[in-house]
Amino acid sequence: MNSPNLAVWTRELTRRFGPFTAVDRVNLAVKKGEIFGFLGPNGAGKTTLIRMLCGLLLPSEGEARVNGLDVYRQSEAIKQQIGYMSQRFSLYEDLTVEENIEFYGGIYGLSREKITAKRETLLQQLDLQRYRRLLTRNLPLGFKQRLALGCAMLHEPPILFLDEPTSGVDPRARRSFWEYIQELARQGKTVFVTTHFMDEAEYCNRVAIMNLGRVIALDSPLKLKESYRKSTMQGVFVEILHRTTPDLFASQEDRS
Amino acid sequence: MQCIFYMIRKEFLQVFRDPHMIALLFVVPLVQLFLLAYTITTDVKHLTLGVVDYDRSVSSREVGRLFTNSDRFELVGYAESPRQVGDLMRAWQTQMALLIPAGFHRDLQRGLRPQLQIVVDGVDGNTAGVALGYAQQILTEYAQDIALQLQRLGTPPATHQLRLLERMWFNLDLDSKQFMVPGIVVVLLTIIPMMFASMGLVRERELGTLEQLMVTPLKRHQLLLGKIIPALILAYVEMILVMLVAVLSFGIKMNGSYLLLAFFSLLYLFTTIGLGIFISTWTQSQQQAMFFSWFVMVFMILMGGFFIPIENMPVLLRKLTYLNPMRYFMYILRDIFLKGSGLRYLWRDALILGLFGFSILGLGVAKFQKRVG
Repeated sequence: MNSPNLAVWTRELTRRFGPFTAVDRVNLAVKKGEIFGFLGPNGAGKTTLIRMLCGLLLPSEGEARVNGLDVYRQSEAIKQQIGYMSQRFSLYEDLTVEENIEFYGGIYGLSREKITAKRETLLQQLDLQRYRRLLTRNLPLGFKQRLALGCAMLHEPPILFLDEPTSGVDPRARRSFWEYIQELARQGKTVFVTTHFMDEAEYCNRVAIMNLGRVIALDSPLKLKESYRKSTMQGVFVEILHRTTPDLFASQEDRS
Repeated sequence: MQCIFYMIRKEFLQVFRDPHMIALLFVVPLVQLFLLAYTITTDVKHLTLGVVDYDRSVSSREVGRLFTNSDRFELVGYAESPRQVGDLMRAWQTQMALLIPAGFHRDLQRGLRPQLQIVVDGVDGNTAGVALGYAQQILTEYAQDIALQLQRLGTPPATHQLRLLERMWFNLDLDSKQFMVPGIVVVLLTIIPMMFASMGLVRERELGTLEQLMVTPLKRHQLLLGKIIPALILAYVEMILVMLVAVLSFGIKMNGSYLLLAFFSLLYLFTTIGLGIFISTWTQSQQQAMFFSWFVMVFMILMGGFFIPIENMPVLLRKLTYLNPMRYFMYILRDIFLKGSGLRYLWRDALILGLFGFSILGLGVAKFQKRVG
């Protein structure tokens, strides 16, 4: 079960904040090279789960391993293996594009030559050469998102955690972003991604649907659509939420 | 080590790109220096004086002249009666009145001891006390002159006078700037490093970049050193700037060793930077951090002997000041500046200051975790 081929493995992983259970007994096994999508409404516990896996938050109960490393005892070693991008694209807005790349390269402990080389490749790859001396705050959001991802991958981690990477980005930029994610998966990277855009679920190899801290469905998009007899992931999602939290929908229908 | 270099470089890039930050770091301290050095002064100058002269003699005019000779008193006018002086005082036009009775000159010449009356506006007790002191000094000197003159003329003096020779040590002219400027340096080394550390960390928490840093392999001590070292560098630059201005344009005398000054400052900076880090671990937003820093600063400054002498405080508060690291640094810095004291006199304070520095910084570092929530 805990084979070395797994990028992420959890057993009964739980996190409570006081009386509130944000993540409730979650079991996962994500294979290497997989694009694993996490769907769920706001407050479902997606961010809390990702934070536990990245070593930002200690679990209350259960076990979790990232690339075979234990989240309790080896959280610092895990950080060498992962790239993390939060929904806020955590770049320094008062630094230029170049300076951000150099800074994160330095933080990841790359050598000076490596940083220069990486910087040039990245600028070319992201088509950011003409913006290299622009303050990041003035960068269009789509570029910001790609730059944030680029910076999170400077140390070439095998696993990527992306927490709602496409929030606020226009559809065209979202599409090209997902093409890039697929390219990364082809190169052998594991991508663990949360989203609340249902169409994005189609890009994933497997999808876990989360609500109220629990994983309530987990399969490939195709199989999910088959078993719930829906043509889109949107339909699957609504159907699942409807079954698990009927009250939520009842109250919304009343209002509308 | 290389990571720390990149952290420091980033901090300075950010500081020098932000005009507000530049103003805050380099203009505000100088304005503060000028304002505080000139406004918080215990020197009393240009006191307004009204004279009621019933004698209208050579001697009475001489006394009036003696008062206005220095820049301490300024004659606003002669009044006809004590009532008129009272009106002037109520109208804030005069702070002190001198009443010379009729027969003053005659009594003096006869070797008698004529009486003079001085009325002081007591609303501001400090100023009133100092003014009275000045007046007594002037009159004592005058009486001595008269006595000498009479002696020469062969008239025996009324009494044998005991003469007090006063000499102020360390600050010969009782120039309050010499006392205030070291205090301003202390306040600067409190505010700037504490604000820089607390606001710097909390700002990154607000923007989400702190979370990003926490997911990198950057170690906790590297992350914190990346904040501590720039704060130290900035604090020293500030100190050099302020002292240069103080020495060159205020004529502040620095009697002690600069090396010792740098050493004690380092001990104190551990405390203030540590407080900043500690505050940042407690707060989620810059407003909160600002509020906490402000509270800590006001407590430290009021209880640190900057402009409220600790000796004047009630016993309980005086004991409380022993918990205030600024208290020690304030004494030390004034000692070094004014007395030129060496480590031989200051080692006890060095020990206490070091203890504060290491425990507060240690507490802040221990409290800072590479985790959220």
